[in-house]
Order: sequence, then structure tokens, then C-alpha cells
Amino acid sequence: MSRLPVADRRTVRRALREMIGRHRRAVGIVLALHSAAAVAGLAPPWLLGTIVDRVTAGATVATVDRLALAIAGCVVVSALLSRYAQYAGHRFGERAVAELREEFVSRTLGLPVSVVERAGSGDLATRSSVDVATVGTTVRDVVPTIVIAGVQLTLLFGAVFLLHPLLGLAALAGLPSIVSVTRWYLRRASSAYLTEGAAAAELTETLTTTAEGARTVEALRLTDDRIRHGTGRITQVWRARRATLALRTVFFSVVEASYPLPVALVLLVGGYLLSRDMVTLGAVVAAALYLQQAIDPLDRLLQWTEQAQRGFASYARVLGVGMVPAEPPGRAATSRGERLVVRGARFSYSNGPDVLHGIDLEVQPGERLAVVGPSGAGKSTLARLLAGIDAPRQGVVSIGGCPITDLDPAERRRRIALVTQEHHVFIGSVRDNLSFAAPDASDEQMRAALVTVGADWYAALPDGLGTAIGDGARQLGAAEAQQLALARLVLADPHTLILDEATAALDPSTARRTERALAAVLAGRTVIAIAHRLNTAHDADRVAVLADGRITEIGSHDDLVAADGAYADLWRSWHTQADERPR
Amino acid sequence: MRYLWWLVRRQPWRVLRGSLIGTAWMVGLSVRPYLIYRAVDDGLRARDTRALALWVVAIIVAGVGLSYLGIMRHRTMTFIREDAKARSAEVLLRHLSRIGAVLPRRVGAGEVSTIGGSDIDWAAQVLTLTGPGVGAVVAYGIIAVVLWSISPLLALCVLLGVPAVGLVVGPLLRRLERAESVYRKQQGALTARSGDIVAGLRVLAGVGGRDLFARRYAARSQELRAEGYRVGAVNSWIDAATVAIPGLFLAAVVWLTARMAVTGEVTIGELVAVYGYVATLIVPVWFLLEGSHQLIRGRVAARRIADLLNVTSDDVGGPGRRWSGPVPDPRRPGAPAGPADLHDPLTGLTVRAGRLTGVAADDPAEALALADRLGRYVVSDTTWGGVPLTGVALDEVRARIMVADHDSYLFAGTLRDMLRPLADDDDGRIGAALRAASAEDIVDALPAGLDTPIDARARTLSGGQRQRVRLARALLAEPEVLILVDPTSAVDAHTEARIADRLRAARAGRTTVVIATSPLLLGRVDLVAHLRGGRITATGSHTDLLDSDADYRHLVARGSDDPDIEAADTEEAYR
Repeated sequence: MSRLPVADRRTVRRALREMIGRHRRAVGIVLALHSAAAVAGLAPPWLLGTIVDRVTAGATVATVDRLALAIAGCVVVSALLSRYAQYAGHRFGERAVAELREEFVSRTLGLPVSVVERAGSGDLATRSSVDVATVGTTVRDVVPTIVIAGVQLTLLFGAVFLLHPLLGLAALAGLPSIVSVTRWYLRRASSAYLTEGAAAAELTETLTTTAEGARTVEALRLTDDRIRHGTGRITQVWRARRATLALRTVFFSVVEASYPLPVALVLLVGGYLLSRDMVTLGAVVAAALYLQQAIDPLDRLLQWTEQAQRGFASYARVLGVGMVPAEPPGRAATSRGERLVVRGARFSYSNGPDVLHGIDLEVQPGERLAVVGPSGAGKSTLARLLAGIDAPRQGVVSIGGCPITDLDPAERRRRIALVTQEHHVFIGSVRDNLSFAAPDASDEQMRAALVTVGADWYAALPDGLGTAIGDGARQLGAAEAQQLALARLVLADPHTLILDEATAALDPSTARRTERALAAVLAGRTVIAIAHRLNTAHDADRVAVLADGRITEIGSHDDLVAADGAYADLWRSWHTQADERPR
Repeated sequence: MRYLWWLVRRQPWRVLRGSLIGTAWMVGLSVRPYLIYRAVDDGLRARDTRALALWVVAIIVAGVGLSYLGIMRHRTMTFIREDAKARSAEVLLRHLSRIGAVLPRRVGAGEVSTIGGSDIDWAAQVLTLTGPGVGAVVAYGIIAVVLWSISPLLALCVLLGVPAVGLVVGPLLRRLERAESVYRKQQGALTARSGDIVAGLRVLAGVGGRDLFARRYAARSQELRAEGYRVGAVNSWIDAATVAIPGLFLAAVVWLTARMAVTGEVTIGELVAVYGYVATLIVPVWFLLEGSHQLIRGRVAARRIADLLNVTSDDVGGPGRRWSGPVPDPRRPGAPAGPADLHDPLTGLTVRAGRLTGVAADDPAEALALADRLGRYVVSDTTWGGVPLTGVALDEVRARIMVADHDSYLFAGTLRDMLRPLADDDDGRIGAALRAASAEDIVDALPAGLDTPIDARARTLSGGQRQRVRLARALLAEPEVLILVDPTSAVDAHTEARIADRLRAARAGRTTVVIATSPLLLGRVDLVAHLRGGRITATGSHTDLLDSDADYRHLVARGSDDPDIEAADTEEAYR
């Protein structure tokens, strides 16, 4: 499996710069408002310092009243400013996140399906859920927190500098140890927390699957095994949590022990300056209070840095999806005719050994071709080449004389449909689940299509075509889901159908019902069926036997039986079950 | 609540230590304002360098001490919480592993996942209240005493004011959480949609419709953005209020204290200290408010855990039906000592000991019900060697009779774990079972063979591969009686024929029931029973039944997958 790419740091930085660039105005406003709010927030300690000075100088009650009122005013102004700052920041975050996820989904939809399959859909699923969400939280919550904390800290330390440069220098006393321990921590934190999260998720999964498979646990007497397995998971979680705790122990103790350093130093320096009358007592008090006040934003900044780092990593994975070249648009919009021709097609998965070794095949319009052969012979690969999902490494697959991969993908899908064992019910109404195959279809046509494939159950749904189905709503059974997929095909009306064991994953009775529905779809089309049971082959116009990536036999059923090759052997073993069954 | 108490009692010393350290830390928080106040009053104002140096050293020492207390508190609390989580997970695990087949009927898997994913955490979170909770109360008291010594009036204002502020701000924050939760829900739905698109990508590649999905998603995304704007407008006001209200309170206290300072009732240092105390007092008050909220959630979580633990396994099985026959005597299980016939009076089926029996059922639901009765997953009158099956100890039934459902669960692990989770079997036996299930190619195709990790339900394998793994697993267990439900419905004819032969050899001399409609399987069994309309209507060899039973002929003919073949056509093909 070749994994999906992950963007490197440069690309991520560039993307961030571009994002900020697009919202230049919004970002500017947010920063300005937050700075103003922080300035207003700095006033109370300064005013308190002034009160201290005035009272020492023997001020009146009226002065104190005025100053206290000023403190209250500053609190209100600061709150108002920060409200608008926060709101503007929030809007910016929402916009940026919306852009990001829409971009991600449209990129995902543009991915060539072969790339997704090779990477495993799990990777993409994780990116679409965990990573997009992580980036979302980061942009919406973490970045604003960090920005606010950063602005506040800058202003707090700036204020101390303004009171007196030497006090300002003293205020920086705690920074070296904090910075170095933070760097130490950040280098280790992300992977440790990811391990912890993964371990916790595995434990939850163990509990959930044990519950889901409870009957199997009882039937196969797996109780002890499940307990052993789960206990192992619990130990893993415990170990992972201890590891992160060890990191925090070092980090927090150093940081917390560093907090009093600037306060202490400012008091000492203040005492010295005071003795030379270079500052007032109020200034020293205000500086000490500022530093005390700086603890909170500093704490927040440090706590969220790790999260921001994780957001950065997730962003790299989200951007990585965009780095896969999108499915190339076709060169030829249409083709003449519907004749499928395969010439000398060879294929290998990601530079592995060839799975198909030179396939030559012609399928006439309206013909029914069955492809049989043992598992691993390359039947599904051939189906994918015929559907244009993969391009042959060598040779050509063409329809009406035009290489199939040159067709516009949308056009190609309209003409050739691949039906596999997989079916998927999309979240949405029944109508939503049908309309994407044929956007112009009327409700009447949809109902007719459903009836054609035997999906009369739709009539019993509470809201008919408007009934919500899929994950989180009404769940359809496997047969119903497959019928829905077939109704979609009726609407899409492709001239060529490729069936890759379309009913193999269903239980036998469901499979039977689905097969009946399938018959309605096949009429009047070119059908290439990867056969599961031999009677399909018996009924087809021609049969191709695939073995080890080669077509070893091809011809009508009767011809092949007469030729007395591998197919004839297989047929006889099936056919003679009834009369000369060995006992 | 009893459950929470149980979790506490498992680790009394740790909880006690947590309380002590938590208290010390919380009290220690108010030390720094005091020390700063002394440094200002005694050192700076009095211009006493020695005193200043002394207090500054005290500030640093106290800082280091506080950081030590803080981290010890955090460590102890983390251990308490993790201990509680691990313990909860363990009891749940043991319980879930034991309940067995009734569980899915009583509890949804989604609920288990919620309990395992978040309820355990919520319940454990309550325990961390023990330390800081006590600490908060003590710290509050100490600050009260100190303030009282400065000025009783101020003390009253602060001690009543801070909780009042908390009570005003608390509900605001709760509202914020609610507004957020609506947003989060919508966000979750949107995430589900993108996951849905990813999951259906292959379908979209097969039939088209990508643009439509991109547009639909974008529309939803814009709706969420609009909701986000709304939430942001409300939240930013609430946030501003939560900052402004305590800020205004602080301003009022400063004003009051400053007036007292003017009249000389308090010193300048005390003025600074009061400012610090008010800020410090916010920590314990928050803890108490937050704690009460957590306690509520934790209790709900604990109740859900306890409810799950109260689901008991049900010895006799089925819902709504009660065993009316003789009450089984636990001292004399009365199970047949060796292989014996199974008889199901409801359908009239008799499974001969040591033979391979095929059951072809018209209605798959009836077949499943039959398997449930034979395997005693429900109450029935089924007998085993003449003894009512319901009277035999369940453990013994499970050990000797195995029902292998066609959708039986595959747990995550290496393929080896999947196949034979309990035994220390050598690869030879595993290889034999894989061969019997014609599943060697699955192992060969996996990168690390038997040691390749496979996820739950073996989603990475194809339907046919999964089925063969299940079959191999059932064969490896070597039960005295093996009941296979549709073991080969998803494999191709070639493979099915091979399995039919090998299965026969692998189970030679042992009681085996194969419930299926495939002629390839039924053609290889000793005796076929035709289950139709709830009764066994005919028994005999496959060939006999093909000749004598038209319905049977029709039934096995339907096992084809090409609906175009007319019935007559198919019959001909089968003959």
C-alpha cells in the first residue's frame, strides 16, 4: 500500500501564509482589537499602583474614588473590545475552516479511485474526520487563544519595560528555563499524546467489539481470550498515560518553579532603584502585579502550544490530499460506438509483478461475456481495466476505438458502470441516493427504477422518496442497499455493465432476491460478468477463462465444453453433482 | 454513587494523599500574595534591604515548593483517575466477555462504545474531586481567616462576593457549553458526511455524481459556518461577561480597600495583598463550581456503567419463553457421556452422531432458528441423547456443541489469533484447518502470512475470504458437534467443491450439520433433510431427494446466481 502524501513544512507554511493573506483585513482587525483590549486590561494594575502612590502621598477619598471608577471603566472597555475581537476572530476562524473542509472534500472527490484504494480508505477516512476536525479546532479555538495570550504577554512585558527598562529586564528572568523546557517538551509531546490517544481508542474498540461479538464469544468460548486481550490493552493505556504524565511532570514543575523568578527579581531590582529614587513604589508594585498577571496567559500559551503543534501536523496531512494529482480529464469527449477492445494489456499494482500478462479481448455491443477462473487469477483487475479505473501498464483498453482512459471520467462513468460486492448508502434521502446517477431524473422515473429492481419497500417508507437513510438514519439491509444501487444503474442507463461478483457478499437468500433485481437491469446492455457460479457462464454468449493473468480459453459454453479443457473439467464437476456424485 | 464509592475504596491511601496534597497546594496558592505584600510593606516601603532580600528568597522558595506540590497533586490525581479508569475498564471487560449471546439483545454496541469511550472517563473524573475538593474548602477557610485579620468588613465582602460571582458566571458558562454542543452536533453530522463521501468514493467512481456531492457538502458546510457565526456572537458576549463580572468585583474590592487605606484602616501592603487574595480565591471557588457539575455528570456515567454491569447472562435463553419441563438438577447435568444424537421435535430433525448431515431450508429464518435450538441459544424441547438439552449445564453445551454462524464475529488481531485464539497450536494443525477450508491462498496473499494483523470483522478481506477464515476457525475448535450455517455462500464454485470434499474428511467420524442450499455441499453429505414450512418434509441422500422431491430440486436450483436461467433450464443443468 502506498500511503497518501503528507505536505512538508514549507508547503504547510506557504498554505498558512496564503490563508492569512486571503483574510488579511479580518486578521488585521482581530489583532488590533485584541491589542486594544489587552491595553485596557493592563490599566487596573497600573491604576492600583497609582492608588498606592497617591495614598502614600496622602491622597483624599475623592481621588481614590476617581481612580477606582477608572479601574471599573477599564474593565468594561476591555471586556467590550475583547468581545468584538473575539467575535471577529471567531468569524475569521469559521470562514477559514469552512474553506478548508470544502476544499478538502472537493479534493477528495477528485482523487483517482485507484490512489484511494492503494492507500487504503482508512487513511483517507482518518484525514477526513480526525485531521480536518483537529485543524478546525485549532483554527477556531487554539489559534485565537494563542493570539490573545501572545498579545497580552507582549503588552504585559512591554508595560513593565515602560515602567522602567531595568524592571523589564528583570521580568525576563524566568524565560530561559521556560523556553528550554517547552522546547524539550514539544519535541516529545505530540507522539506521546498520539500514542496515548491510539491506546485509548484501541481499548474502547476492544470493549465495543467484545460486545458486538458477544454471541461469538459465547459460541467459541473466547471469554478468557477476550479478557486477556483487553487486559493487555488496559496495560497499554496505563503505560501510555504514565509516559505522558512523566513528560508533564518535568514540564510543569520547571515552568511553575520559573514563575516566581521574575516577580522576585523585579522586587529586588525595584528595591535597588527605589533606594536611588529612580522609580516610585507604585511602579514596582504595578510591575510585580503585571508579572503575577502574566502567569495566566503564559499558562494558556504553553498548554495550547502542544495542541497547535498537533493542528500543524494534521494540516500537513489535510494538505497532502491536495498533492495527489487529480484524475486527469479526458482528452476525447466522446467515442464512436460501444465496442470494447483490449489489446495486449498488462497490469501490475504499484510496481509489483504483473497480474495480467497480455490480455486480448473484444466484446461486441449487446454481448454477454462471462469471466470465470480461480480466485487470484486477475478477474477483478480485468474488470477494473475494462471500467477504466486503472490504466494498463502496457497495451490498450479502448471503447469505440478511443482509449478508455482518454474519455472524460464523468462521460466514461455514464457509459460503463462497474458493480461490485461493495455497496454504500449515502447519508440523505432516498432521492439523494438516486439522483446523483442521473441528475435530471424525475420522481416518477425514480419510482419506476425502484420498482424495476424489485425495491417495492420504498413505498412503505414514511416519507417515500424523501425518507432519510444511511448512517445515523434508517439503516437499509444489504439487499435493499444493493437494490438501491441497481436502481441507480437503471437511471444512469449505461450501455455497458461490468459485474464483479455483485452478490457474493450477501447471504444466500438475499443474494437470490438481488439477482432477480439484477435481471431487470441487464436487459439490452453489454454485460461482462465476473462469474461466481457456473450457470452464469452457461447462460452467457461467451465465456472467458482466466488463469494466472492470461485468458486460457474463450468461446461459447458449448464450444468450451466440447474443447475439453479446464473449463470443461470445472463444468463437469459442477454438472455431475446430480447424477454421478461420488459417495 | 455506590459504584463511585467502590472506586474510591479501591485506593484509599492514594485518595487520602491526594486530599492532603491538594489542600496544601490550594492553600499554598495564597502564600505568594502574602509574601509579595510583606516584601512591599517591610522591604520596599520601609527601604529595608535585608527584609526585602529575605522576603524575595521566601518568594522563590515558596514558588519551588508550590511547583512541587502542584506537580505531586497532578500526579496523584492522574493516578487516581487512571486507576479508576483501568478498574472500570477491567470490570466491564470481564463482564462483557461473560454475558454472551444475550448481550446484543439487551444493549446496543453503540451504547457500549459510549460507556467505554466517555462514561468511564466521566466517572473517573469525579474521583479527582476528592483532593482539590477538600483543598478548596480548606483554602477558602484559611483565606477567610487571613482577610478577617485585615478587616472583617472586607473579609465579608470578599468571602460572599467571590461565590456570588461564581454563581452568576457559572450558569453563563453552562449556556456557552449548550450553544457549543448544538454546534458540535452539527459539526459531527458534517464530519459524518465527509466520512460518508470517503466511504462511498468507489461507488461514486463507478456511477458518477461527484460534483453533486461536492456541492451538497459545500451547502452544508456553509450552513455550519452560519451556525458558527451565531454561536460566536452569543459566546463572545458570554466570554466577555465572564471576564468583566469578576473584573468589576475586583474593582469594587480595590475601591473599598483603597478608601480604608486612605483612612489608615489598612496598610498599603495589605491593599496589594487583598488584590492578590481575591484573585487567588477564584481558584477554589471555581473548583467547587466545576466540581458540582462534574459530580452530576459523573453520577450519570456511573449509573450507566452500573446498569451495564447489571445485565446478567441468561442461562436458559430466549425472550418471552420459559422452560416448562423438568427443572435441571445442577448436580446431575445428565449430558450424554459420549457422542449422541440430537433431536429437534419442533421440526422433527434428528442429527445422527458421527455423521455429516445437510439441512436445506426453504426459509433462511427457519434455518437460523433451528441452529439456535440445536446450539441452545433459546429454550426448546430439543434433546441430546434423549436428555433435554436445556437441562444440561450451559458450559458443557458450549464446550461440546458449536454453532458457527455465517456472520460470526472476527476479532481484531493477527490471522493466527483469529483462527485459534486459545490454543498454542502448531502451524501444522492450523495449516490443516486452512486447507480444509481451502483458505491457504488467503495466508499466502498476506504480507506476513499468519502473523499479519487484521482489523475487526476482517474488513480488508473479501466476503469469500472472511467466510473461509470463519470455517477454518470452527474446524480448528474441533467441537464434538459442529453446526455450520451457510459456510460457503460467498465462495466460487471451484473453491466450494474443494471445501465440500475436504470438510468431509476433516470432520470424519464426528457429528456435523451443514445448513445450506448449495448442491455442491449437499451432494457431499451423508444425509440431507429438507426443511419446509417449519417441518422436515423429506430426508435422504442428495440424489434421492433430487429425484423424489420437486420442491427440493427447485430449492437447490435457486442456488445459482443467474436469474435469467429458467427453472427448467437450471434443473437440466443440475442433472
